Amino acid sequence: MQKFFSNKKLIILMILIIVTFGLLAITVNIRDKKNTPPLVQQVGNDVVSVVGGVFAYPTNAVKNATSEFSDLYNTYSENKRLKARIGELAQNQAKLEVVQDENKKLKQELNLNSTLTDYSTINASVLSRSPSSWQSYLTINRGQTSGIKKNMPVMSGKGLIGRIVEVDKISSKVELISTDNELNDKFAAEISASNNNNITGVVSRYDSSTGDLVMENVNSTKDIKKGQSVITSGLGGLTPRGLYIGKVYGIKKDNYGMTNSVYITPAAELRNFTVVTVIKSSVKGEN
Amino acid sequence: MNIKTRKIVGQVLFILIAFYLDGLMKWAFLNNMNHGVVAILPQFMLMVIVLLTMRIDNRRQLIIYGIAFGLVYDSYYYGIIGLYTVLLPLLMIGIDHFKFLLVKNNMGYELSIYFLSLTFLQSGIYLLERLLQQTNTNVLDFITYTLGPTLLWNIVVLFILYIPLANISEWLVKYRRDSK
Repeated sequence: MQKFFSNKKLIILMILIIVTFGLLAITVNIRDKKNTPPLVQQVGNDVVSVVGGVFAYPTNAVKNATSEFSDLYNTYSENKRLKARIGELAQNQAKLEVVQDENKKLKQELNLNSTLTDYSTINASVLSRSPSSWQSYLTINRGQTSGIKKNMPVMSGKGLIGRIVEVDKISSKVELISTDNELNDKFAAEISASNNNNITGVVSRYDSSTGDLVMENVNSTKDIKKGQSVITSGLGGLTPRGLYIGKVYGIKKDNYGMTNSVYITPAAELRNFTVVTVIKSSVKGEN
Repeated sequence: MNIKTRKIVGQVLFILIAFYLDGLMKWAFLNNMNHGVVAILPQFMLMVIVLLTMRIDNRRQLIIYGIAFGLVYDSYYYGIIGLYTVLLPLLMIGIDHFKFLLVKNNMGYELSIYFLSLTFLQSGIYLLERLLQQTNTNVLDFITYTLGPTLLWNIVVLFILYIPLANISEWLVKYRRDSK
């Protein structure tokens, strides 16, 4: 009898191990390969996120209030600085309108329906962040029904913050660019140099010790200067061209001295926002 | 609804609130994305689960709680199923199995059991994620930047919140059999 029981325990342990690895392997595969998780999981996540909204809205209100308070603190000096730029801005705005109009007409002339720079936006508010160190996901309250698809880029007010990794019916998950993950967080980027030839590369890594994004596979580092702005190049499928990523901070050689990596200070302050914008490219890429 | 069902509903709600608090706390206060060296992970749900497990005697109920909430946690926060879903019930059975050794629930015991369970859970998650190549953090970085700060933060929070949390879980579990 004793032997029988110990066998039973052994069998339970074995089944447990098989189930664990089976479940993990299946869900990781689904996440990486399929566009949406299974329906049961989608519905489950949606229900949880709808209820979560009840808790999230007051929290976001508090968060907004505190950031407003710190904004108020800096108002005077900021106001002085901003007044100086208002005149410039109005002029730029007028110029932009004219140029956009001209651009539209020229596109019509050329029969171009959409180019890499065309996109529409979907606004969503953040419900929570995963309490996990390796899955830095934000849950947002828009999903398939709002037209969100996997791998779409996500911006906060100032710049790029990540991309969609999981889409449910009315909620989805955003993976932040600060994730220390080799598989997913790659953005085709370019640095607009002064003399019209753009430097392209891939933002592929996040340096957590400095808080910088790292751009690799850069074609030439000759014209790169500190402070130049980095934008997405639109060469990677679902990401349109012209989303602001950040400013060049410096260039470092890798450990072997073979390739150059450009370090970028991200524009989006990945902290004080409660609303994000999902970018929907008008050009249909693969995927 | 009889008293037993009402208590169970209360327990589920209690765990659910703690579940949402995990994500909101991380989002609203511990959101260190720009200088993301130290990762503090709030684990309120585990606190509540440990406190309830110390008081509930029905093992079947514990296993159901563990699997159900583990599944929801994995699906909603991690996007991979099989981390909390497996580790949480295991942990609860473990606590249930050894809790007869403790003469009486007091703060010291419960803090140290929470400490052990948090270590077990986080290390388990790290090992599984490492095996499935979801992370490439090495062990020393994990201990210094994730496990250490997480343990410290959560133990301090449990120390502060112990009395209300313990009273609520006591009230949610204990009832006289003759009362309706």
